Amino acid sequence: MPATTHMRAKSGLAFLVMAGLVVIAAIAFLTLNVQREVRQLGSAQSDNMQWSLSQAEVEFLEYARQLDRNPIDAVELTRRFDIFYSRITTIETASVFEQLRAFEDADARLTNVRDFLSLSAAIIDGGSEEITSQINALRALSGEIRPTVRLLAKLGLDAFAEESDTQRGAVARTLTQLAVALAALIGALFVGVIYLNRLNARIAGRERAQTQTATRMNTVISTSLDAVIVSDDSGRIIEFNPAAEAIFGHYAEDVTGLDIGDVIVPEHMRDAHAAGMKRMRQSGERRVVGKGRVQLEGRRANGDTFPVELALQSAETDDGEIFIAFLRDISKRVENEQALVEARDRDLAGEQLKTDFLSTMSHEIRTPLNGLLGNLSLLRDTRLSKEQNRILGYMESSGRLLMSHISDVLDITRYDAGKLNTRQEPVNITALMEDIIDNQSGTAVENETTLDWGWHGEPMHWIVSDHDRLQHVMMNLIGNAVKFTRRGKVSVTAMVERTAQEHRLSLTVADTGVGIPEDLAERIFDDFVVGDTTRNREVGGTGLGLGIAKRFVTALGGDISVDSKECQGSTFTVSLPVEEAEAPSSVDETHHITPPANALRVLLVEDNEVNRIVARKMVEAEGHVVIEAHDGRQGAELAAHQAFDLILMDINMPVMDGREATQRIRTSGGASAQTRIVALTANAMASDQSQLLEAGLDEVLTKPLSRDALRTVLSEQAVTPTKDTAAIVDTGHSAETRQALGEQAFAKLITRFTHEVDDFMAWLASDVAQDYLEVASRSHKVAGSAAVFGALRLKDHLKDLENAAKTGDGHTVRGKIDALPQVWDQTKPLLR
Amino acid sequence: MFARLAHTCFGIALALLSTVSASAEDIAPPSGIPILTMSGALDTTNVNNTLVFDADTLAALGTVTIETSTIWTEGVNTFEGVPLKSLVDLAGAESGQLLASAINDYTIEIPVSDAVEGGPIVAFLFNGDRMSVRDKGPLWIIYPYDQSADYRSEVTYSRSIWQLDRIEVVR
Repeated sequence: MPATTHMRAKSGLAFLVMAGLVVIAAIAFLTLNVQREVRQLGSAQSDNMQWSLSQAEVEFLEYARQLDRNPIDAVELTRRFDIFYSRITTIETASVFEQLRAFEDADARLTNVRDFLSLSAAIIDGGSEEITSQINALRALSGEIRPTVRLLAKLGLDAFAEESDTQRGAVARTLTQLAVALAALIGALFVGVIYLNRLNARIAGRERAQTQTATRMNTVISTSLDAVIVSDDSGRIIEFNPAAEAIFGHYAEDVTGLDIGDVIVPEHMRDAHAAGMKRMRQSGERRVVGKGRVQLEGRRANGDTFPVELALQSAETDDGEIFIAFLRDISKRVENEQALVEARDRDLAGEQLKTDFLSTMSHEIRTPLNGLLGNLSLLRDTRLSKEQNRILGYMESSGRLLMSHISDVLDITRYDAGKLNTRQEPVNITALMEDIIDNQSGTAVENETTLDWGWHGEPMHWIVSDHDRLQHVMMNLIGNAVKFTRRGKVSVTAMVERTAQEHRLSLTVADTGVGIPEDLAERIFDDFVVGDTTRNREVGGTGLGLGIAKRFVTALGGDISVDSKECQGSTFTVSLPVEEAEAPSSVDETHHITPPANALRVLLVEDNEVNRIVARKMVEAEGHVVIEAHDGRQGAELAAHQAFDLILMDINMPVMDGREATQRIRTSGGASAQTRIVALTANAMASDQSQLLEAGLDEVLTKPLSRDALRTVLSEQAVTPTKDTAAIVDTGHSAETRQALGEQAFAKLITRFTHEVDDFMAWLASDVAQDYLEVASRSHKVAGSAAVFGALRLKDHLKDLENAAKTGDGHTVRGKIDALPQVWDQTKPLLR
Repeated sequence: MFARLAHTCFGIALALLSTVSASAEDIAPPSGIPILTMSGALDTTNVNNTLVFDADTLAALGTVTIETSTIWTEGVNTFEGVPLKSLVDLAGAESGQLLASAINDYTIEIPVSDAVEGGPIVAFLFNGDRMSVRDKGPLWIIYPYDQSADYRSEVTYSRSIWQLDRIEVVR
């Protein structure tokens, strides 16, 4: 809107100026005209022609008078004649008489006069005697021409009167035009004055509005709780508001005109600040301006540094670009955040302690249990009496129960630590339910309870879910129902509610058992909650079952609920969002194990003798060769010199643990550097497992070793002899690059990349790396190179570093920088 | 001033007399037909307090030529004559008026200041020929009209007297 007004004003003004110029030009032109006319009026072109013509008559009369004199003075007569002659010649030839001569009459009369002159001259030129004798002839000629001369003089009068009339008319016309032009000019000036007046009023109005806006702005700035600092494009402070004074402890009048970097930027960030300003001046590149909030550090007058949140914006003014910084002292907030983080860290540490305790305990319990169960399994292969066989069965079931309790505890720990992973696989829900029903039917018969199951509505046999978790939950619910129902009925139904958005599977377990007291119903899914203690003793249980079931159901995205009346029965309902799955083509693949085509050479690294013997027997039972090592160092040495098809590596060992041994094998470049290494650990925590995978191990088997799991590993190994280290380097990808570039160029590139990473790490280690934006930018660049060589872990690590640097998360940045050399050490050997 | 004193108090100052006599001897009385008579306040005289020229004595003052057009003639013509300044210098006039009269007794005033170097001449030759009375002769005061617009004015044209025969110097 002001722009259009401005434009309109501009074009109006231009029009006025143009009009004024045209009028002035017209006036100048007319003035020149008038001047010319006036000059013509006063010009001597006419030589007072009128006088000249009348003089002709006078001179003629003078001549005529001489003719009448007696006696005749011939000399005087001749002179008078000559004078008249000269006059007529002048009239005939002079340019001033041109107009006169243009009259037809004039021409004829002049001819007459000329004739008279010629005739008279013939006599006069004859001398005085001739004149005297011919005087009468001269008189006659003179008398004859006299009227003509008179008319000639009069004609002059008429001609010149006419001419001067024309000239006067022209002058009058020009003067009129001049007057009109002047009137137009005055009019234009008047319009101009009105226009300027109006423009002036408008400008005054705008100025008032601007002053008001400025006042408002000043009030806003001065009452702002955030510091507002305005600087010019070279960084000199122009404004420093009261909040800025309060926050930074400087007075506005002291710092105005000083460099902003010297006033509010802490010593250790000045280089980065100066670099940023320089970069902006040279290339116009802006990393902070107009990019929203940035967290930085500020410096108070007393030298304290404190965290600030900064928003920087630029604006164009007549004096050049200015920068407006809004700064907020966030030291309190950061303190609070810090306190929160510390509190959380403490909590996490406590949690970690608990988890560590549990996993250590489970390890300590599992290891002997592993030995026990393994030996029981071996004992079964020997000749046993029937009685011994029965006892062995009890021992085994007791051992497995103990194992399942430990697993329950671990499951809870895992879930609470957020490390419970679920799988997405096709599950035949019908088959799963039927298995459980079959499994529980014995108990149901014992309790004289009928157990039935079926679909309500249209069945959906195959769904995408986690088979084991679901089985665990349903086993628990159905098991409980059967356990707590005597001479009653347990009905299990499955139903799918199909809607456009999602399908929902409801699994209902309804019993006519003892039911649950109301106060207990609310807590039934909590941990360690058991019903009537006496009853509990009768049926057994840790009180963890429903707690685990609820956790699993939640992990699967569903919910579990109970509806119960004491002494009448309970109904448990599990509701899950499901997707329909396609039935896999080959059924029951999981138990299909390929016997080895040829015997594998397996290196077993295990310090515990019992475990070593159990594992050895199991592997040998599958027809493979076992070479033993009693600690990590021994294992690594053997692996360096012999090529194994598979290495089974215990993790917790004296002298050298499994992780270190694995790294040594991988980096040694020895005979077994690429061999598949399977960890054996009693630490079943998911986090531990992923750590092991990161350490270069390919797979994790949990102790106690199960024959099936071991068999699977061995048979996979028989099919795929080697496996690359996908987690660290995607060799497939780097092989593609290698193929595309050729061996030599690839090697060069690898060298350059190595230098790049080394340089980057050196830079990070130096003092220069204070500018987080620079850190982010460089990480990004190196990550890009890492992606080219398929160095996935390095790439991910750098990406994390970049993100942390961008968000100003100093803690993470330092952590990532510290961990970088380790990642690089893992990656580097695999690049060749 | 000095010259005037000498003129009025003739015979008092011998020194002055001798000066005047010496000047008078410069211009001989005309031997041919007189064509111009100068009268009035003159430093130099030759006949009865007047200075009379015939064609030869006038030409002897030194002639100049002006090529110019006039409003009375056709085309550009050549006028030859004596600069008016020569006559004014001879008269010793530094200011005042020249009363120039023609044969028909037409008289006009020419300020002495008009008589400048390169200014008006008293012409007696028109394109190399003597001018008869019928051709505005014998003398015609011609200004170099083409040379300057200032000379193409009514005043100058009125001062361009032809058939000139007398000049009276009035101081």
